[in-house]
Parts: sequence; structure tokens; C-alpha cells
Amino acid sequence: MESLPIQVQLGYINYIANGLVNEEVKRTVDLSTHIAKITAEILLLNQGDSAVHSFILAVEPELAPNLAYVGASVKGDEEEDGILELKQTMIQGQSGEFYKVQLPSSLAVGAKLRVKVETVLSHILRPFPTHITQAERQLVVFQGNHYLYSPYPTRSQTTRVRLASKTVESYTKLGNPSKSDEAIEYGPFRDVAPFSEDALKVHYENNTPFLTISSITRIIEVSHWGNIAVEETIDMRHTGAFLKGPFSRYDYQRQSDSGISSVKSFKTILPASAQDVYYRDEIGNISTSHLQILEDSVEVEVRPRFPLFGGWKTHYILGYNLPSYEYLYTLGDQYALKMRLVDHVYDDQVIDSLTVKLILPEGARNIHVETPYPIDRIPDQLHYTYLDTFGRPVLVASKNNLVEQHIQDVVVHYTFNKVLMLQEPLLVVGAFYILFFTVIIYVRLDFSITKDPAAEVRMKVSSITEQVLTLVNKRLGLYRHMDEVVNRYKQSRDTGALNSGRKILEADHRTLTNDISSLQARLKAEGSDLADKVGEVQKLDGQVKELVCRSWQEAERLVAGKVKKEAYIDNEKTLSSKRLELVTRIDSLLDTL
Amino acid sequence: MAEHHTATDSKHKASLNAGGSLHGNSRPNAACGGGGKGGLSGGLAQPAGWQSLLSFTILFLAWLAGFSSRLFAVIRFESIIHEFDPWFNYRSTHHLTTNGFYEFLNWFDERSWYPLGRIVGGTVYPGLMVTAGLIHYVLNLLHLTVHIRDVCVFLAPVFSGLTSISTFLLTRELWNQGAGLLAACFIAIVPGYISRSVAGSFDNEGIAIFALQFTYYLWVKSIKTGSVFWSIGCCLSYFYMVSAWGGYVFIINLIPLHVFVLLLMQRYSKRVYIAYSTFYIVGLVLSMQIPFVGFQPIRTSEHTAAAGVFALLQAYALLQYLKNRLTKQEFQTLFFLGVSLAAGVVFLTVIYLTYTGLWFCIKNVNDERVFVALYAISAVYFAGVMVRLMLTLTPVVCMLSAIAFSSVFEHYLGDDMKRENPPIEDSSDEDDKRSSGNLYDKAGKVRKHVSEQEKAEEGLGPNIKSIVTMLMLMLLMMFAVHCTWVTSNAYSSPSVVLASYNNDGTRNILDDFREAYYWLRQNTDEHARVMSWWDYGYQIAGMANRTTLVDNNTWNNSHIALVGKAMSSNESAAYEIMRSLDVDYVLIIFGGVIGYSGDDINKFLWMVRIAEGEHPKDIRESDYFTPQGEFRVDKAGSPVLLNCLMYKMSYYRFGEMQLDFRTPPGFDRTRNAEIGNKDIKFKHLEEAFTSEHWLVRIYKVKKLENREPLEHKLRSIVPRQKYTSKKTSKRKRGHIRNKLVLKKGKKLNKK
Repeated sequence: MESLPIQVQLGYINYIANGLVNEEVKRTVDLSTHIAKITAEILLLNQGDSAVHSFILAVEPELAPNLAYVGASVKGDEEEDGILELKQTMIQGQSGEFYKVQLPSSLAVGAKLRVKVETVLSHILRPFPTHITQAERQLVVFQGNHYLYSPYPTRSQTTRVRLASKTVESYTKLGNPSKSDEAIEYGPFRDVAPFSEDALKVHYENNTPFLTISSITRIIEVSHWGNIAVEETIDMRHTGAFLKGPFSRYDYQRQSDSGISSVKSFKTILPASAQDVYYRDEIGNISTSHLQILEDSVEVEVRPRFPLFGGWKTHYILGYNLPSYEYLYTLGDQYALKMRLVDHVYDDQVIDSLTVKLILPEGARNIHVETPYPIDRIPDQLHYTYLDTFGRPVLVASKNNLVEQHIQDVVVHYTFNKVLMLQEPLLVVGAFYILFFTVIIYVRLDFSITKDPAAEVRMKVSSITEQVLTLVNKRLGLYRHMDEVVNRYKQSRDTGALNSGRKILEADHRTLTNDISSLQARLKAEGSDLADKVGEVQKLDGQVKELVCRSWQEAERLVAGKVKKEAYIDNEKTLSSKRLELVTRIDSLLDTL
Repeated sequence: MAEHHTATDSKHKASLNAGGSLHGNSRPNAACGGGGKGGLSGGLAQPAGWQSLLSFTILFLAWLAGFSSRLFAVIRFESIIHEFDPWFNYRSTHHLTTNGFYEFLNWFDERSWYPLGRIVGGTVYPGLMVTAGLIHYVLNLLHLTVHIRDVCVFLAPVFSGLTSISTFLLTRELWNQGAGLLAACFIAIVPGYISRSVAGSFDNEGIAIFALQFTYYLWVKSIKTGSVFWSIGCCLSYFYMVSAWGGYVFIINLIPLHVFVLLLMQRYSKRVYIAYSTFYIVGLVLSMQIPFVGFQPIRTSEHTAAAGVFALLQAYALLQYLKNRLTKQEFQTLFFLGVSLAAGVVFLTVIYLTYTGLWFCIKNVNDERVFVALYAISAVYFAGVMVRLMLTLTPVVCMLSAIAFSSVFEHYLGDDMKRENPPIEDSSDEDDKRSSGNLYDKAGKVRKHVSEQEKAEEGLGPNIKSIVTMLMLMLLMMFAVHCTWVTSNAYSSPSVVLASYNNDGTRNILDDFREAYYWLRQNTDEHARVMSWWDYGYQIAGMANRTTLVDNNTWNNSHIALVGKAMSSNESAAYEIMRSLDVDYVLIIFGGVIGYSGDDINKFLWMVRIAEGEHPKDIRESDYFTPQGEFRVDKAGSPVLLNCLMYKMSYYRFGEMQLDFRTPPGFDRTRNAEIGNKDIKFKHLEEAFTSEHWLVRIYKVKKLENREPLEHKLRSIVPRQKYTSKKTSKRKRGHIRNKLVLKKGKKLNKK
């Protein structure tokens, strides 16, 4: 807008210079929803002296404040429409909004070109009456222009108005229009002068949902771990006729046409790969929604907690996750994110105010944004979330008055050093390392300021006694092994096996006894009275050993046939009972340890 | 032979468990005498630390089990604050996190108790909010962006883990490590505690039980060591408890009682003196720092016992000191001895009548076991007085039953394993439950000969032992199953969201409360005042963010009575009250459509009673009953009831509604009656919103009309025809003789 005067000058000159004429205009004013979609098919004819490269689109000054979107395309022979570039400009002496449209190729003198101009106006349908009761139907008024508002003269023009219902209270009757079911046909009008206006007014019934998103904040959080989280915080309002008087649930449930203009639910279409969809508000999950996974999209039936009547509003948060491979492109350290700047919320949506926050990974640099249409950038912010140290860059942008045509892709280029991916795991590893290290330090080192020698001795003694206990138990176990060896010998009568077994066991026994006595010595050194008890255990153990040896000999003698079996059994009995007694005494001694 | 083989087999296992197993040898003795110490020193002396690893694992698992069994509601529904009081706590925590601590302490909430308002900072125990706020702050400092709501929802389950650890510590001090671990497992899943600490139940008790147990642990520790360090720790923990819950009074009475009984039992020592003196002075000063408590500790009667015991202890210490100095004080010690003996006898007889765990404790009495005995008795008393205080009983029951189980297992399981290979060892879940079971592995196997003798000594057959053990294990298993079942069925409903189940098992969520509250939040004026019965005050403030007249902090009875009076008067009288209170909307709960029993008509008699208490001239409870003394909503109901505001609001247009074909229109499912007044018209109110299942109905109070229309027709004054009498003109009128003639004065027009 800084170069305003020049543009004005240019525009003015252009208008004077080129001799364009609207040869044939077909206008369609679609009023079947809560927005007005005006499409005009214009056949441009160059009657000037030279070829033209651009033409001017004009919007009526009355409608300009409601203008949400304007676009032009060339109606080619092939199916595809060539979308034309628009640039806002001004024309001296005329009010309204003007756009200069660059033609794909210059239009020679006498040549014709068919262009299609699409204009979307929001908040243009005014409910009248402004307040209705629950039982009443919603009537709205549209005020527009019969003619195409254009800086060029028009040779021939028709206007077709599409309505939402058959019920029409009144409409302007310029040129005796014909009215069919849900449409009114005006024209054809011949030879209309430039900038001609004639008020078109239609008052008709329109019960389509008059929903308006008064504000939406769309947060896109990109993670290089494979996920893109999208969250939309939406403030929504029913901008139709206000509800007057009570809201009766009884009528609403029993009569199908009660509250016909209210909105019960609407559908939001999410990308096909959307996962973990959530729909909630400040007080928790909104349990009245349904999710339907279709082939090419995910459809959420968003149902607010309560039906929305005229003037009622609601607020909710809708979020989901997307796999990043569908939207994130990479080449070395270069990344490009291609995502919709604003996404579908409901059909024919109107967004009064949009804020987009793009959270890029921590460490993204050289950020460059390509937007499909001009959008106000707000200074970048930093965002801190899990395991962030210096913050993630956040791109913030806002725009007012958007409609469905604004659902277009934004491309964000940035560079990101892949080594930084390791930062987060290393942080976790480091934290755990420090934690364990502190615990180790704390447990291993003695932090007490005073020393307690008695406690130290006690701990030493207890550790020694424990070792003694293990060894004694092991030794007792050995005896049982010896018994086993003897039993086996009695059956196999293999003296060699017996002797070898005995030798091993005796060696084990000796080492154990030696160990115990060395421990006993250590106990004595610590000055513990437990040493005596251990000594006693040793003494008893010696007796046990003796008994075992005797039973051994007895067995040998039995095998050799020197003793009768009965005598041996008697002998064995007394021996084992003696042994049992000794073991019990050892046990009781051990228990006191 | 087979026995030998198994013995060798288990040798490998035994060597694995060598650390723990050896300790088992000394265990049977540990049961009598210094049991607590035995467990502790044994654990520390293990170089390999098997025991500590096991304890750590068990505690960790107990924490995990406690945490996850509290998540039923979150999994079934969502992460949401439950019930009523938690909504206030959540709202004030939210206020704390958004506005800072000092703003929170100075918070005057003009959105409640309209038009009075409420000084929130001075009338709450801030511990809960500060804890949640602190956790939130720390997490956000570490860039863990957690919403404060999630912190609030999961605070109680997290603290249940801390509670089980502090219970472990306390029981370990009182008995031994094994019992401590059992107690930790018990408290982790015991329903009495779960009932107040499921996820979403963001209430004081959730953290207070932790503070309670931890304070007691530190107290026992300080009594045992006599160290000022532990006493100060105890004071800090007590301070936390004071800041968290009004139940701190329980501590400040139980600890003095403990000291007192110790004095009576002639167990006075320097340790007791140091511990209690420190605790009382520092604890008193700290507790007075809480604005809500203020000077109560030195003014109110609940705290006098503590002061009295403090004075007594000082006097007793002085006497002791004097006794040491002057020998002629003997009569005094005699006196104390006599008193303490008598008291002790009475005391012991009382205690013998309580639990087995208690019995075990008393059997091996020492300072800290006196404490647990007192704890149990007083908690039983409080639970008897007020069911809600069952909460204080729960931990001590857990501890005592853990002690009982532990002792029983020590007797039965220990011997059992000496006989043959333990059956316990193989079942893996037992290892979680009982570390003590593991400690017995080896000793038994080696000494198989011994056990035969021991068996004879104890006179218990192996069968009896195994049966008892199995029964105990069954009991434990049943307990775990029971706890889970109770938690899942009784305590895991948020009560904000209702669920109903269809015949095919699918679930219907009735989200009417939030629907209506959210409607209020979005579609009414920001400063609109909502009148409702006090039960819903906190929820309206929390979810709808609108000004309420009365709420669950029932500090002003006359205000509640006024609301009750408005609800129970007829419409025009109620309108007067509502106008005087600036009411914009009236919110009621009506369950007649879906058969929800906790609705306002069922609570209505309480409104009438409370209103009658303050306004006996206008409201009389008897008016709302039929002559037969019944409370009915059908045609036979009393006309006063059928025309009062609450009735009209509940049943407005309900008379036209036919729920199914078997019942007449206007059939109330909750009370199973066809309503008596089907033709309800409002003059001063209009229906503003009714939720989908009619559970919540909101009415708008209309502003005064410009001119109130007359109810009756204007009196038409027809000029009376002149009556012509047949009498003579003289007698046309009555005539009084000597009548004074009144002279009409004339206005002076000109001066």
C-alpha cells in the first residue's frame, strides 16, 4: 500500500486507455447458503487501439466490506481453468474495490476472451426479522446489484439468483424477472454503462446453518520424529436470527421443524491420515461426536454440547496427529513443509479471524515462508515443550475474513542440522546418568560428620557371622552328600567310588573348616563374644565328623561282611540319633548368632 | 531318596538367594524382641543388597499397582475432575497457577456467595493447591508442558504411592521390613483409601493421608532416636499436614496422647522429652502460619490436650530432675507408679479386645508400638463418630493387618519350609507380596532332621500349617480381587458424566451436566448470577464460570435457607426473593426422564427443612406432605408442593411428555408416579435451557415488566341508576336529628 499513488495513477490510465467491453455476462448469485457466492462469466472484447495485458475487476462499494474472496480464471477450451493473478488497485473518482487482473497472454485488438470471476461475500445475508422464536423460520435479506459492477460497458447481461428455499417474501422486479422454484432470473439487460448499480433485494427463507467461526487458532507442531500435531481452537457462533423467548427442549425433541434454523452438528473433514483425533473444550471431552474413516479423508461429525440457536456460541478444540512423511520433504539439511494454512471446518465456512502458529523443530534455521495469499506475519515466538533447551521457533500469522476458497497450501522452507536429533535422547541419557551417579555416590560414601566405631564393629561382625553361617550350612550339607555316597556304595559295593568320593568330600570339609576357623580368628580380633560360639560350633562339628566317619567305617564293614545286617542297622540308628542331636545343637547355636 | 534330589536341586536356587536366606535363620527370634532392628540391620549388612533390591522392587510395584488401580475412571471416561469439592480445588489451583501464590492467598472470590463473596485465601487449606501448583510449576520449568488439569487429576494416585512408601517406613519402624512391605501393598490397594484418591478426585484427603503417615513415621523415628533432627522433620511434615487437611487435629491429639500414655506407663525418657518438646513448640508455630488455622491452636479446645501434655511433660521432666537431685521425692515417684499401673491395666484390657495385629503389638510392647495401638484405638473412635473419617482408620488397619499377616507367616510359613521344599517359592506373585517368604529358603532344606523335632515341640502338624498358609494366601488374593472390584465399581465414577449400558453392552454417555454448564458458560452474560441448590455451586463455578449464590462451602446457613425458601415458595413469593438476590438464572437437576435418583425433587425436603429452620413463619415442612404424611408428587400430593417453584421448574412441560407407551404422559421415572400438576405456567420465569435428557434445567428470571398487568379484569363502574323510592321526599333519606353541620372550607385562591 506504500505505492498507492502510483497504483492509482496506473489504474486510472489503464481504464481510460484500453477499450475493453463486456460483450456477454452471465452472473449467478448463489444465495443458497449463508454466504453469497457470485460468479460471473464475462466475455471480454478488446475494442481499443492496442492489445491489452490486464483488465480491472470491480466490487461494489456497498459489498466491499463483506468481500471475503475474489478470484478470476480464464475459461479455456480445455477443462482446466487458468487461474489469474490479482492485484489490488484503485481508480480515481470511483468508490469500491478494484483488482487488476493480469491476463495470461495479451488480448489483441478485436479479440475475445472468456473469463470467470468468482466473488464470495460473507455476512451479507441479513436476518430479517432479526429475532425469531423457536417455532419460526429464518428469513434473510440480500441486497446486491442487478448489474455487473464493472469499469467497462456491458453489452448483454443475465443475472440468476439461486435461493435456499421456495419461500420468497419479496424481490425486486427489475425487467420483469422470472421466478422458478428456487431461482430468480433477471435480464437480459442490454448496454449497461460502466459502474452502473441497481439495488437487487431478495427477502427469502433460509434455514441453512448460519455458522461463523469468530476466531480460530491453528497450531501445527512439526516433530522430526515422524509426527505433525495439529490443533485447532475454535470459537463458533450462530450468526442467524437471534432466538427470542424460551428454548423448549420438549418442542425441540418432539417437533421436527422446531428450531429449524438451529445447528445440531456439522461435519469436519480431516486429512485421510489423521490419527488420535480429539474433540474437547475447557471442561473436558465432548462425548457427542462421531468419527468416520473414509477412503480419502477422516470425517468428524462435530456436535457441540448443545444445539446452536441464533446468537448462541460455543468453543472447542479439535486436534489430531499426522504422519510427517506426507507433508515434510527433505533434501540433506533442507526441509520443506507443505501443509494447508487453514483446513476445512464445515462446508461453506466463514472464518472471521484466523491465527496460524507453526511450531518448527528446535534448531530450525533460515526459515522462509511461501503463502498462497497475503497474510499478516506477527513476530516469531519461541515455544518450549518436552526436552527443549533453547526453544522451538514459532511462526505466527493471522488473517481475517476467510472462506472455503482459502483452503490452500503454505510452504515453509528451513534448514535443520540432523545431528540435533540426538540432542533429546542424549538429554534423557544424561539425566538418568546423573541420577544413578548421585545414588551411587550417596550409597557408597559415608556422609556422616561423626564416626561411630561401635556401629562399624557391629556391621563388620554381622558380615562375618553371616559368612560363618553360610559356611556352616555348607558343611552340614556336605554330610548329607557323604551319606549319599555311602548309600550308593552300599548298593554298588564299589570301593573305588567310595574312596574317591570320600577324598573329595573330606578335602571340601577341610577347606570349609579352615575357612570357618579363620573367620573365627577374625571375630576374635574384633573382640566379639560370638567367636566363642563359633568355636563351640567347630567343636560340635568335629564330633559330627567323627560320627560320620564311624558310619562310614560301619558301612565298609557291612559291605565287607564283617558285621551282620541287624547289628549294622542298630548301630546306624544310634549313630544317626547322636548326629541329629549334635546338628540340633549346632542349629540352636547358629540361631543365637 | 527323592528328598535328597530335591535338596540338591534347590541348592542352586539357595545359593542365588544366599543373602536373604541366611538372614532367615535369625528371623524367628526377631519376631520377639528387637524385631524392627533385626530387619533393618540385616538389610544394611547385605553386601549384595538382595534384600534392598527386593524391597525397592516391591515398593515400586506397590506404587505402580496403587497408581494404576486408581485409573479406572480415566480409562473409562477421561481425565476429568470428579464430583463437587474437587471442582473448587481445581478452580482455586487454576487461580493459583495463573495469578501466583500471593494473589491466591489474597483471593477474594466475588463469584461465589453472591452478594457476600468469599475470602478464599483465608478459608482453605492451601496445601493441596500449592502442591499441585508446585508440581505444575516444576514440570513447566523443565519444559514438560502439562496442563494443570492433568496435574490435578493425577495428583492423588501419585501421592498414593508416596503414602504406601511412608506406610512402609512406619511399619518397618514398628515391626519389621516384611510387615512394612505387606503394609505398603495393602495401603496401595485398600478401598477405604482409594475411595478418596482415585484419579480425578482432587481432594485434600488425597495428599493428607500421605502427610499423616509420614508425620507419624517421623514422630516414631524421633521418639526412637531422641534426635532433634527427626523432630524437626516431623514438625515440617506436620506443617504440611496442617496446610493440607483439617484432619491435622488428629495428629495434634494423637501425639500428645502417645506421650501421655508413655508417661503413664513409666516409659518416660529424655528421648520422649526432646521429641515432644521440639515437636510441640515448632509444630505450633508452624501450624499458625496457615491463614485458615491462624490462632486456633492456642484458642480452641481441640488443641488444649497438646498444650496440657506439653505442660505435664515439662513438669514431669522437672520432677525427674529433682528426683535425681533430691532423694526425698520418693513419694512422688510412688504416686506416679501407682497411677501408671492402674492406667496401664485399664489400657491393656481395652487393647486386648481389639485386633490381632494390635495383640501382637501389645505382646511385644515398646515405645513406638504403644503409638500404633493408640493410633488404632483413636482411629476406630473417629471412624465411629463420622464415617468419612474411616479414612484415618484405613492406614492403621493396613499396618496392623500387615503385622498380623507377617507374624502368622513367620510362624507357619517358616516351619513349613523347614520341613520340605517351600511351595511358596515357586509361585512368582508371592515374591512381590512377601519378602519374608523368600528369606527362609535355604535354612530349612539343610536341616531337615531338625524340623522333625521342632514339629513335635510346636505340636502343629504340617497339614495344619499348610492349610493355614493356604488360607492366608487365599485371603490375600481375595483381598486383592475385592479391592479391584470395589474400586472399579464403586469409586470410579466421575459423577459429572453418567454412563448407561444398553442391552447389547454398548455404552451411552449422558453428558447433560457438562452440556448445561457449558451452555451457561458460553451463552449467558459473564456476570450472570445463577441460583441453584448448594450441591452444584462448585460445579457451576468451576465448569460454567458463573456467579453462584450458595456452594458446597456451606459457611452461611441463612443464605442457604434463603435459596431453599425461594425454591419451596410459590412463584410470586420466590420472585420477590430472587429479585432481592439479583438472580438471573435458576438451575435445577431433574432426573424424572432418565430415572436419576439424585435430583432436586428428592433433595427437596432438605431445602424445605433448612428454609423452615430460618423462616419458620413462611415455610412449614408439614405443608409439603399429604395429610397421611407422605411426600408425593402425583395428584394426591399436597397443593403447596404442587405449586412451589421447585416443583414447577422440574415438571414444566413434562406433563406433555410421554416417555413410552405403557405409561401416561408426565410419568416420573425416578419416583414412579404420574405428576399431579401438568398444567404449569410461569409468569416471572422462562425456560432458558434444558439438557438433552432433561437432567439439568435452567430458567431465566425475567426482568420486571414495565407495568404489571392486573390478574383480574378492571372493575367496570356502571353508573348506578337513580333509585326512586316510593316514599315521600322527606323520608327519602335517613335523617339524624341535631346533626352537626359540616361546613366545607373554601380554598383561598388569591392571597
